[in-house]
Amino acid sequence: MKDFIVIKGLDFYLDSKAILKNINLTIDSRQFISIRGANGCGKTTLSKLIMGIYPYRKGSIKIEDREVSEMSLSEIGRKIGYLFQNPEKQIFTSTVLEELSFIYKYREDIDKSRKEKEIDEILDTFDIRNLKNKSTFFLSQGEKQRVALASVLLNKPKYLILDEPTTGLDYKRKKMLSEILDKYKNKIGVLLISHDYNFVKKHSQKIISLEGGCIVYE
Amino acid sequence: MNNTIDPRTKLFLVLCISTIGLISRDVLILFSITIVGIIISKIFGGNFFVLIKKIKKLLYVFFFIIIIQSIFTRQGNPVIVIGGFEIVTDLGLNRALGYMFRVLIIIISGVIISTSSERNTIQGIVQLGLPYEFAFMTAVGIKFLPLLIEEFKDTYMAIQLRGINIMKLPIWERFKITSYIFIPVVASALNKAKKLSISVESRAFRAYDRRTSITSLKLKYKDYLIILISLTTAFALIYLKWI
Repeated sequence: MKDFIVIKGLDFYLDSKAILKNINLTIDSRQFISIRGANGCGKTTLSKLIMGIYPYRKGSIKIEDREVSEMSLSEIGRKIGYLFQNPEKQIFTSTVLEELSFIYKYREDIDKSRKEKEIDEILDTFDIRNLKNKSTFFLSQGEKQRVALASVLLNKPKYLILDEPTTGLDYKRKKMLSEILDKYKNKIGVLLISHDYNFVKKHSQKIISLEGGCIVYE
Repeated sequence: MNNTIDPRTKLFLVLCISTIGLISRDVLILFSITIVGIIISKIFGGNFFVLIKKIKKLLYVFFFIIIIQSIFTRQGNPVIVIGGFEIVTDLGLNRALGYMFRVLIIIISGVIISTSSERNTIQGIVQLGLPYEFAFMTAVGIKFLPLLIEEFKDTYMAIQLRGINIMKLPIWERFKITSYIFIPVVASALNKAKKLSISVESRAFRAYDRRTSITSLKLKYKDYLIILISLTTAFALIYLKWI
């Protein structure tokens, strides 16, 4: 397996408060890793730094040997799929079908002839066929999350970062998410950020604990 | 200086600035008001340029409207002519600049008002004799503005994270994609409004007809001076220019 994400000596400050201190981490392309830790320990910040959402000054983050600070958000987005803690932020069209078709409309490097087939498959995988023509305004939290994740996966990322994907999900929906992750397990790697220990334990090959901005357990 | 100026004084000032901004068609006057407004907002502790930096992406929409306005105004003398076609006229340019300065004046007004605390702004409006509900909604609007700006930025980022390089898209598609940003922001604003109304109702908002208040604002000499200067300047400008 190849090192996909390599983080070396990463420090991150927000309003002169240290959020992350000397983070060193190597993630393989097919690895399922989870990050645990108390609220405010820097889990989401770390994921946003990897995604290039936050700029960093000290240390290095490389995705496939390229420094994140030198990559555009769209370049990173093509390699890594990111599910926000609040999926509402990443649903921007008025219907579910439009949302799933979005990348076929605007990405020049995607095979548009496969659109129907791929959308059809993802509707079944995520059990959202019944929502196909529904307005995104009226989706429940669980439905929004599935639509957002389905849209991200249509991008065919090499890696996936999921920020608190089980928040607000009932047992049935959590089980469904678990089954989806199982389906993709050997196809793409996942970095899971979660408080849900049982969920983390079930899926992860490696668990990392963050405390006060430092990796305390790996 | 910020904490010592009464919010009512700031409201008077904003009223004068925006009134002239609204009725003036002279680009030079609008430009002067914009500059004066930026200086005043800085003196009051606001930072106009930080806000502009935050809404950088929204500025594309403004520029698009400015370009459209200058191109579609056919009257006036040609300024840019390509292949015999008058692309931009002096009147079109004048209207576009006027629009730009008016938008900036609105933003500056927001910056000036937001330099007072939310509680003081509500109190100021109530002491001006306006209903508490109106004051409350104004303060809520000011409070939610930065949140909405954050949401604009997040959605713009989420679109790019789908692998779409917005800057490489043709200009028309770039504007079309910008329109997608409004959907989650409007949805979120409606959601927030709904949650807020439930929340205030559940805390017995308007349970009694008359509200009492522990704080009371008092106008000082410098408040009277600022009100006097701004009203005199506004009336002088209106009199000299339009009457």
